[in-house]
Amino acid sequence: MLIEIAHFLSILATGLFFLCFIFSFFLNSKDIYIINLVSRIYTHSFLIFLSSFLIYIWLAITDNFSVLYIAQHSNINLPVFYKVSSIWSAHEGSMFLWIIFLTFWGAIYNLATSNNQLLKARTLGVISLTSVGFLLFLLLTSNPFETILPLPPENGADINPVLQDPLLAIHPPMLYMGYVGFVIAFGQAIAFLFEGNPEIKWEKQVRSWSVASWSFLTLGIALGSWWAYYELGWGGYWFWDPVENVALMPWLAATAFIHSLSASSKSFILRIWTLLLSILVFSLSLFGAFIVRSGIIDSVHSFANDPERGLYLLSFIGLLVMTSLLLFSYRFNHLLSNKKIVSLSKESFISINNIFFGTLIFSTMLGVLYPLIYEFIYDQKISVGAPFYNAIFVPITLIACIFLYFSIDSKWQQSFNFKSLYQPLFLSITASSVIVALAFYKFLIVNFLTLASLLIGSIIIIRYLIVIYFYFVYRKFANFFSIIAHCGLGLLIISIALNNNLSSERALNIKINETAVYKDYQINFKNLRVVPGPNFDSVKADFVITNPNGKVFTLTPEKRKYFARGQVTTETAIHASALKDIYMTVGDQLDDGSWIVNIQFNVFIRWIWFSAIMMVLAGLLLTHSLSRSRS
Amino acid sequence: MKKIRKQRLITVLLILISSALGSFLVIRALDSNLDFFFTPSELFKEELPDNKRIKVGGMVLDGSVTRDKTNISFVITDYEGSIDVEFDGIVPDLFKEGSGVVVLGYLKDKTVIAEDVLAKHDENYMPPSIDLKN
Repeated sequence: MLIEIAHFLSILATGLFFLCFIFSFFLNSKDIYIINLVSRIYTHSFLIFLSSFLIYIWLAITDNFSVLYIAQHSNINLPVFYKVSSIWSAHEGSMFLWIIFLTFWGAIYNLATSNNQLLKARTLGVISLTSVGFLLFLLLTSNPFETILPLPPENGADINPVLQDPLLAIHPPMLYMGYVGFVIAFGQAIAFLFEGNPEIKWEKQVRSWSVASWSFLTLGIALGSWWAYYELGWGGYWFWDPVENVALMPWLAATAFIHSLSASSKSFILRIWTLLLSILVFSLSLFGAFIVRSGIIDSVHSFANDPERGLYLLSFIGLLVMTSLLLFSYRFNHLLSNKKIVSLSKESFISINNIFFGTLIFSTMLGVLYPLIYEFIYDQKISVGAPFYNAIFVPITLIACIFLYFSIDSKWQQSFNFKSLYQPLFLSITASSVIVALAFYKFLIVNFLTLASLLIGSIIIIRYLIVIYFYFVYRKFANFFSIIAHCGLGLLIISIALNNNLSSERALNIKINETAVYKDYQINFKNLRVVPGPNFDSVKADFVITNPNGKVFTLTPEKRKYFARGQVTTETAIHASALKDIYMTVGDQLDDGSWIVNIQFNVFIRWIWFSAIMMVLAGLLLTHSLSRSRS
Repeated sequence: MKKIRKQRLITVLLILISSALGSFLVIRALDSNLDFFFTPSELFKEELPDNKRIKVGGMVLDGSVTRDKTNISFVITDYEGSIDVEFDGIVPDLFKEGSGVVVLGYLKDKTVIAEDVLAKHDENYMPPSIDLKN
C-alpha cells in the first residue's frame, strides 16, 4: 500500500514540476504574483517528491520485499545503514537519489534567493523542466516502484558485497550532489539568456552555488578513489576507466567554470565564455549519467545495460543542450563585451587556463569515445588506457602550472609589474631546486618527468608560502581560498609523481609460520583464522611485519564469503604512515598449502587524497564567505 | 574598419592553426597508445608485433589453470580458438575456471605475458562478442 502512495506522490510531483515550468516561461514572470506562485508550487512539489523518497527509505528499512527493487538489492541480515544505502546501489535507486538532489538544490535556491526575483522564477522553471525530464526517465524506463505481487519473497537478494562499505554509502550521494548542483548555474544562465538583458549580473548570483557543487564533486571523486584503493585490492587511486573519466570531465569543466566566473563576476570581460562553460559543465554531468547508465562503453565497473534507457537519456540531453546552445548563439552578439583583455592581467591568465582545461576535456572525451568510433568504422575492439591519458595530462598540467605561477601576482584588468616578480621567483626556484636535489640523492629518482613534477609542485607551494609570509609581515593582500586550493594542486602533483616513481609491489608465496623478506621488511605469516561476520564468513590471515628499524606491527588481510550470493571478496590490510602505506591482500591457497599474498609499498599515496581534501576545504570556505557577503 | 578585419582574420587563423596542431598531437598520442582487444580466435588471424600491448578476453578453459608459486598460467578460449596466458601475481576473486576474464599484456611465442588480469565486478560478465555466440 505504502509503495503505491510513494509511486503516486512521485507522479504528482512530476505533474507539479511541469506546471512550475509552464508558469515560469509562459506567464509574465516579472509579475511578483507569478514569481511567488512559481516559488510556492516548486516548494510543494519538492516536498511531495521528498515524501515519496522518505516512504521508500522506510520501506527499505522495514524489509518490504514486495517492492521488486528492494527485494533485488537488500537483505534481512543487512545492518540498517546498508538497507538505506542499498537504495543507491543500483540503477533505479541511483536515479531516484539523483533527482532528489536535483530538486533539493532547486529547493534551497528557492529558499535562499530573495533579492534577485527577476531571474528566480525562470531559473526554477529550468530546474523544474530538467527534473521532469529525469522523473519521466525514472517512471517510464527505470521504475523503482514496481512490485512483486501477490507473493513477495521472504528474503532479498542482497547488495553487492563490494558495495557494503561505509564509504561507498556516501560516495554516490556526494558525487550526485556535485553533478546536479550545477543545475543552478545552468538554470540561471538559461534564464539570463532567455531574458537577454546584459545589465543583469547573473555571475554574482551563481558563484557560491557553483563553488559549493564543485566542492561536492571534488569530494565525491576523492571518496570514490579512496574506496577503490582499499576495497578493490588493486592498490591504485585512479584507473582511467571510462566511468572515472566521465566524472573527471565535468570536474575539469567546473574548475574552468569557477575560475572564469570569478573573472566575469568582477567585469563582463569573460562573460560569453563563462556562459558557454555553464552549459558545458551541466551537459558533461548529464553526459556522464548517459555513459554510465546506458552501459554503452565497456567498463570494469558494471552497471545496468539497457539501450532503451540510453536512447531516452541521449535524446533528452541532446534536446536540452541543443536548445541551450541555440539560445546562446541567438544572444551571442548582444552580450559581447567591447572591453579587451589586458595582456598579463588576471583575466588573461584565466583565459589561458581555460584553454588548458579545454584541451584536457577534449582529450578525455576523445579517449572515452574513440573506442566506439573505432569499432564502428573498423569493426575492431580497442580500449584507450592509462598511457594515452598520462601522455596528455602530465605535460599539460605542468605547463599550466607554470602559467599559474606567474598569475599569482597578477591583477584584474592591468598588466603586472615584472620588477615585483624577481625576488619571489628567485626564492621559490632556489628552495624548490634544493628539494628536488634532495629527492634526487635521497630516493635516487632519475626520471625526468618525476623531477619536473617535483620542481613545479614545490615551486607553487613555496610561492604561496611567500604570499602568506607577506600577508603576515607586510599586511599584503592574500586570497586564502586560492592559496589553500592551489597548494592542494601543488601537493597533488608532488604526491602523484612520488607515488608513481617510488611505489613497488611483489606477490609472495608463503606458508603459515614462514617468514619472507621484501625490501628489508620481514613478513611472518603467523596465523589463519575463520571468523563469522554478520552476513558473511571471513578467513583472516595474520602477518607480523618487522620494518628495517625493528618496529613490529600486524596486518590482517582477509577474504570474505557472503551468504546471500556466495560471492568472495578480498579485504585489504593497510599499515598507513605519512610516507608510505604498506598494503596487503591475500590471494588463493595452492595445493601444497601455501598462500599467495600480495604486498605493496604505496609511497605518498595518502597525500593524494589529502590534497583533494584541501581543495574541498578551500571550496567550502569560499562558498561560506560568498554566501555571507551576498546576503 | 580594415585593420580590425585583418586583426580578426589573424586571430581566427591563429586559433584554427593552434587547435589543428593540438588535435594532431592528441590524436597521435591516442593512436600510439591504443590497446587492441581480441578474442583468442581473432588473435591468430592477425599479424601482431611482439611488443604491442593487447587485451584478450574470453573464458578460462576448465582444467587449464596451473600454478607454480606466484606464477599462474591458464588458457583463454572462445570455443573456436584458444591462447595460453602467463601471469605473476594475484588473480581477482571472480577469476575461476569456466568464467569470463580479460587480460592485458604482450604476445610472446604464442603466449600472452599478462600485466593485468581483470574479471568484472559482475559475476555474470562475459565479453559481448562471446556472449552472442552462446
